[in-house]
Amino acid sequence: MDLGAEPPAFDPASEQERALAEENARLRRICGALIERVESAGMAGGAPYGAFEHAVLLAEQVRERTDSLHRTLEALSEANARLEEARAEAEAANHSKTRFLAAVSHDLLQPLNAARLFTSALEDQALPGEATRLVGHIGRSLKDVEALLGTLVDISRLDAGVLTPDVAAFPVAELLDVLAEEYRQMAAARGLAFRYVPSSAVVSSDLALLARVVRNFLTNAVRYTKRGRLLLGCRRRPDGLEILVADTGPGIDEAHQEAIFLEFRRAVTRPEEADRGLGLGLAIVDRIADMLDHPLGLVSRLGHGALFSIRVPYGRRREMPPAAEPTPGADRLAGARVWVLDDDPAILDGMAALLEGWGCRVRCASTPAALEALSRRERADLLLVDYHLAPGDPDGLCVADRLCRAHPGLGVVLITANHDGDLKQWARERGYDCLFKPVKPLRLRVLIANRLQAGGGQACN
Amino acid sequence: MSDASPFSPAAVSIRTAFSDNTDPRRAAAELASALAGPELGFVLFFCSADYPLSALGEALERAFAPVPLAGCTTAGEITPAGYGRGCIVAVGFDRGDFAIACARIADLEAFALPQAQRLVDGLLADCRRQAPPEDARPFALTLLDGLSSSEEQVLATLEAALGGIPSFGGSAGDDNRLSHTHVYAEGGFHDASAVVVMVTSRRPFEVFTTHHLRPRREKLVVTAVDRERRRVLELNAAPAAEEYARLVGRPVEALNAEVFARHPLAVRIGEAHYVRSIQRVDADGGLRFYCAVEKGIVLTAMQSAPMLEQLAGVLDGLERRLGAPALILGCDCFLRRLELEALGRVDAASRLLADARVVGFNTYGEQHQGMHINQTFTGVAIGSRG
Repeated sequence: MDLGAEPPAFDPASEQERALAEENARLRRICGALIERVESAGMAGGAPYGAFEHAVLLAEQVRERTDSLHRTLEALSEANARLEEARAEAEAANHSKTRFLAAVSHDLLQPLNAARLFTSALEDQALPGEATRLVGHIGRSLKDVEALLGTLVDISRLDAGVLTPDVAAFPVAELLDVLAEEYRQMAAARGLAFRYVPSSAVVSSDLALLARVVRNFLTNAVRYTKRGRLLLGCRRRPDGLEILVADTGPGIDEAHQEAIFLEFRRAVTRPEEADRGLGLGLAIVDRIADMLDHPLGLVSRLGHGALFSIRVPYGRRREMPPAAEPTPGADRLAGARVWVLDDDPAILDGMAALLEGWGCRVRCASTPAALEALSRRERADLLLVDYHLAPGDPDGLCVADRLCRAHPGLGVVLITANHDGDLKQWARERGYDCLFKPVKPLRLRVLIANRLQAGGGQACN
Repeated sequence: MSDASPFSPAAVSIRTAFSDNTDPRRAAAELASALAGPELGFVLFFCSADYPLSALGEALERAFAPVPLAGCTTAGEITPAGYGRGCIVAVGFDRGDFAIACARIADLEAFALPQAQRLVDGLLADCRRQAPPEDARPFALTLLDGLSSSEEQVLATLEAALGGIPSFGGSAGDDNRLSHTHVYAEGGFHDASAVVVMVTSRRPFEVFTTHHLRPRREKLVVTAVDRERRRVLELNAAPAAEEYARLVGRPVEALNAEVFARHPLAVRIGEAHYVRSIQRVDADGGLRFYCAVEKGIVLTAMQSAPMLEQLAGVLDGLERRLGAPALILGCDCFLRRLELEALGRVDAASRLLADARVVGFNTYGEQHQGMHINQTFTGVAIGSRG
């Protein structure tokens, strides 16, 4: 059928045929119009209807794309919601783990604290030869437990992000002198030479955290060096003071060096070495260095020893009067009047034994009310107070504040297992000293001696 | 008579008013007293073509200067109280919530993409100069001379320049006289022109279009046209008016706007039907349309579904998505209003529109995303929340 051609000539014989012929002609014209339309569709050009049709198709495309975009966005936000849920769950689990660990550590620290105090008091007694040795062993074992526990607490606190650095300027010698003294003895015990080069530089850091890092370097050096010598010293760099610990130990080959640094990134890499080898200790070192933003360094060759370093920014500090001599004589403590407030009777007993061993005159109280009653009749040079007292009682800071008002010149040492930076800050603002549990006897003794020599000079607010 | 309607505390930055005073100066003064405020930044108005237009223009300029105005003549107004006729309705937008710019397309024939691009860039820059809040979004309102026969090309060109900016609008009317329609911008009324108003706001808004017509079985093929004058000469290879009259079951002499409103024709593109409204029967038996026609297009006979129920559903949807709207600017085809008048439902419609806070006008054609469409209710709903 030729749609384009005219229909063949036709002479209708009937009315019906005439109607059909007419309809045929119309259908051919309709068909022609549709063909024309179909064939001109999609043609570019300014035909007004074409512009409308084009706009409709465009709008339809835009609508479809918008729809698919919406679907994609919805899918994304759903995925996001699921991720957020998973994250919240993980965080909650982590949080409860951290809280549990903190609680367990706290509960373990209490009895350990008491045991350390008793052992220390026992060491000061005149004991038969064998007993002295055994007491020494007990003391060292307790110290190990304490170190292990401390590491666990630190890891959990670092992971939970609750540990915030308490940065201040201090002479680096304040830190290194003490460490040098401590490790000189340890090195000597293992037949190693120990050289310490003091520095007069003032640095800006968190003293306690930085101490952990350097102590870890020194512990590793002592542990792994069979013979030769150790060096503790500093190098002045343009952008900070490099505190370094060098040894003549076995060294670490270059390939392994990288592995060690990788281990810095992980927590416990080799459980059997937890706090015994590089695994856990250096993991903490790395985290602390990260947090303080102090770069770490390691230079070593196999068989030629190792040199670990940490670079600390310089600090500025007003000249302080020369500190008291580091190891105070017992005479300064002798006769000092000390009040001890703690709600744990075992701690009270242990503390009393220790302090009395140093010649102090000790009065113990287990409640603030008892101590206040006591304070109305007597005077004291120093108050040792636990921050956490029995539920219902005011905290140690409040008690100390109240006693200081009644007894100007009273020295205060706040003792707490809570490593909260705020607490330390509050204590410092009031001019109090702050000691963390477990209380180390030597540290306590130095603190008390300094306090007494200052003559209670630090005013209480 | 005037009506300042700060609908709710959150919505006072949009104020609406109307006046049915036939004196241009008094009408302008009434609007000004209702809309005036220190923050008033732009006024949009729709007025009956019965007003002496040049006097009205001067009176409005005097009453509102230096605040810019845009607007057009109508085939009926939608006031804050529902449908009106022979009056003027206005909306005042405050600067704090809205940055608004406006431009006129004076030569519709010569409006090509480069001009469109310049126009849109200029409008957006103008809005930015008014320092709208950072997260403001734009929409465009177009008002076209409804008898210019160039809506399709102008809109397609403008749409290309607008890109993703939502747009809608209406063609100006003249109370069904079909002789002179005008748009207002740059301080005066103009014919053969278009006005583009760019509105940017932080408020949520939604541009929408809807109609209540459903397809029937019958199809009509356009077999002869007079393209330039939007005339269909033949349907199904028969004189157009005759064939249409056969379809609706009326004699040709009885064909009028009311019949066209009740028995519309539409083209189907994809899944959607777009009504092509008939304007009138010409003496030669052809049908004149409100929109472009082409040989070979297939027209589908349409029938009405209940209009107000359908519209109420759409308005509910808008409120669900945006919250109670502060304002709906509506371009409502005058054929819809004719249908409502024939059915005696104008009062019910007025109540529905007033409750939904619609103001606007009855058009000779609507515009949506670059499409020139007929017999729809098209507009923008602006939410109350900032």
